[in-house]
Amino acid sequence: MATETESKLPGFTNQSEEELGGRWGMVIDQDLCTGCQACVAACSMENNVPIVGEDDAGYGRGMHWIRIERLWESMEFPEVKMTDFQPLLCQQCHNAPCEPVCPVFASVHSASEDLNLQVYNRCIGTRYCANNCPYQVRAFNWFDYNDERVYPELTTLHNQMNPDVTVRRRGVMEKCTFCIQRIHKAEDKAKSEGREIEDGEFTTACAQACPATAITFGRLDDPESAVIQIVAANPSRAGHLLEELRTQPRITYLAGGV
Amino acid sequence: MAEATTLLAVFDEIEPTTHAIEKLHELGVPDHDINVISGVPIPGRVLGRPSALTNVSRIAMVGAVLGMFFGIFLIYGTPYLYPLQVGGQPIYPVPMGWIVTFEMTMLGLMGFAFIGLFVDSGFPAYTPMEYRPEISDGKIAVLFSCPSQDQDKFVNALTSVGAESVTPSEARQL
Amino acid sequence: MTTVAQPLAQPHGEEHEDPREQLMFDPLPRGEMNRLAMESMYATSWKFWLVTGILVIVILYCLVYQWYILIMEGQGMAGVTRPDYWGVFLVNTVFWIGISHAGTFISAILRVMKVESRRPFTRAAELMTTFGLIQAGFSIFMHLGRVWLIYWMMPIPNVRRLWPDFHSPLMWDLLAITTYVLCSTMYLFLPLIPDLAMARDRTEGGWRKIFYRTLALGFRGTEGEWKNLTTAMNIFAFAIIPVMFSVHTIVSWDFAMATRPGWNSTVFGPYFVIGALHSGMAAVAIVLFIIRYTMKHMEYFIRKEHFNTIAMLMWIVSMAWAYFYFNDYLAPWYGGDKWDKLFQEYQEVGPKAYLWYTMLICNIAVPWLTLWNSKWRQTPWLLAIIGILINVGMYLERYIIIPVGVTINRMPFTWRQYEPRIEIPMTISTFALFLLLYMIASRLIPLIPVWEVQEGQENHTLRKVGKAHIPAISELE
Repeated sequence: MATETESKLPGFTNQSEEELGGRWGMVIDQDLCTGCQACVAACSMENNVPIVGEDDAGYGRGMHWIRIERLWESMEFPEVKMTDFQPLLCQQCHNAPCEPVCPVFASVHSASEDLNLQVYNRCIGTRYCANNCPYQVRAFNWFDYNDERVYPELTTLHNQMNPDVTVRRRGVMEKCTFCIQRIHKAEDKAKSEGREIEDGEFTTACAQACPATAITFGRLDDPESAVIQIVAANPSRAGHLLEELRTQPRITYLAGGV
Repeated sequence: MAEATTLLAVFDEIEPTTHAIEKLHELGVPDHDINVISGVPIPGRVLGRPSALTNVSRIAMVGAVLGMFFGIFLIYGTPYLYPLQVGGQPIYPVPMGWIVTFEMTMLGLMGFAFIGLFVDSGFPAYTPMEYRPEISDGKIAVLFSCPSQDQDKFVNALTSVGAESVTPSEARQL
Repeated sequence: MTTVAQPLAQPHGEEHEDPREQLMFDPLPRGEMNRLAMESMYATSWKFWLVTGILVIVILYCLVYQWYILIMEGQGMAGVTRPDYWGVFLVNTVFWIGISHAGTFISAILRVMKVESRRPFTRAAELMTTFGLIQAGFSIFMHLGRVWLIYWMMPIPNVRRLWPDFHSPLMWDLLAITTYVLCSTMYLFLPLIPDLAMARDRTEGGWRKIFYRTLALGFRGTEGEWKNLTTAMNIFAFAIIPVMFSVHTIVSWDFAMATRPGWNSTVFGPYFVIGALHSGMAAVAIVLFIIRYTMKHMEYFIRKEHFNTIAMLMWIVSMAWAYFYFNDYLAPWYGGDKWDKLFQEYQEVGPKAYLWYTMLICNIAVPWLTLWNSKWRQTPWLLAIIGILINVGMYLERYIIIPVGVTINRMPFTWRQYEPRIEIPMTISTFALFLLLYMIASRLIPLIPVWEVQEGQENHTLRKVGKAHIPAISELE
């Protein structure tokens, strides 16, 4: 099912064509998003994202894999106009700028799932990938936040950690993986039952937790999937973030207020 | 076969050295039996000597070619051994090829020039050798071999053109 | 009405000094010059030991101890955060690589262009290259999250069959800087061999004799040895120039390959190379001033004309730097990408705008307002002050590109200012280590390549043309 978009012949420029192929993607409806941050909490709990403490969070070192961006259009009080809430997570770009700059191949592209993979145990912490991400969605482990010997006051929720997900140490970059542990579990189950994965059989933690069903996760190469249907039903609202950078992200945003 | 002695004549300036080498040629000493040791490089044509030969440039060229192949291996061989897709870029990228190959070629060129110096000059050489410490203080020494029975003739000839001393040389620890 | 031609300009001052004041026309016997160089190496006063002691203490605390904390605790001890993932450690890396380019410029480019006044200070400049690259290497290690795994960047066959990613500018950096540091060190060593032989001949015994005898490799000065040595030196001189250009270009590509606004500029390659020469030349002026005034007998070797040469190079490079900076400035100013323009405005009127103005004053105004005057160019202490100011300006230039540059990106929700934390003592320690290495080297090896000075003095004669003595340089190579 994986579309062969890359040629292995030597070339001068980027070789992947502009197409919406690939497997996993998302659509986020900004009109429905209320900014409640349930997705942030669910993602952190699902993926063992550490709590960094008050000081470091104040300095911007919060490690949330998804964040809700609140922006204002005008600053003249009381004429302050808010924009839509913008849930921002790793866009799983097809032409990810974070991938070619890693010197040790810790950030590579998965051809079969068309996801951007972060290999924790290969990362040596140069942080070039985070610099190069135009969406700034990558988080770095500045300290051993998840180590209860170092930070006992931060690791209060150890017992609820997800055994399917690695606990990262200091010096390693991390980011949203589209809950790849859930993807692999569903793929394994479907394979053992000799069938393809059905749409809606599983979903990511953020999509599962959203009370407004603003986030929909599914397959992009199946025209019957919910993601494709929602985008097709709202053609005027659909768009990608930072489209001009040609990163070809897998997440489509439906603009609100239309 | 007549016995040959090695004599070492010490001079203060380039001019008397040149005259001395002329004298040696007149007395029948072939060029390959003469060696000039000095504290600064003196070009052969100044002294009337054939230009010295060196293999350093050839060794350096070999190094450059080896470096180039190593660079090509790095940029095209390693992705062949373990291809990984990154960022939509081709597996065998061309612009990076130039960069990596250039750097490795230059490293090979200079590294082998350095090694070539060691190999061609026989460095490091810690055995006793014919030398005078005054040479690094600016004196010029002419080392040559002559038949033993004519030793006095040579000594007089060179002293007459201004040698400070002409003595049988012996290898000593530097 | 007069028909006598009037001179257009009044002759002013004595422009043409007596050439016999220059080093090349003031020869001493080689033995005498050797003695000066050796005595300069041996003469060590209590002031030397005091400074060395202070530097060792600074290095032990600021480098060893602070780096230990940094590795054990994590990169959070530094001031880096989202979006300021790169901070002062990268600034230091670029700065020290920039300083190191001066050595190659002087010993390679000036040698190839046969600028004779470079002869006494090529080794002093080459030492700056090697020691500067050591600081750059330390700085890049300091910024890694898991520095103990840095060997994964080397293409060594391993059981996982993994190779490093040569798509990454950091890998090009590794190759380029490795090439540069190895070749610079070899190029430092080559002209040093005859001087080590001289030191070996002038030392009676003890550890110094063993040291010089080992490193001199048994060099005597035979014709074959000189031919091999000069051939190797020529190959190095020609080959290390493109390597020098490529190294800082590749360092600039760490930034130019990124999609960040303000970084993705195509002019970064030559801009960084000229920036490196700018700070490097200034550093050479500082080093020459320190050498001349703290080491014995150096007034014979390092004279006003050498400061004049360095100062003219500093002036020309500052003009080239201004040209490249203006190129980099004009395109975003003119319009186009809104984020590039936003970054530019942030530089000019943002909270760190004082850095930007200081940079422009130090890099452009200071050299342009002072180095035109030939008398000022030949004043060593003034040149050292100008050198310090230029280096401050160039440090700020890298500071503006990296930590101030990463503040602005396309996601305004993430914008945050960077404050250096543990980077401050660790930066100070790199300067201290550079100085310490230099001071140790000045005790171990003669800083002046005496054989090259003698070679130059033999090349130079004064020819009598009419009533004047005109310098004439013969090419004996």
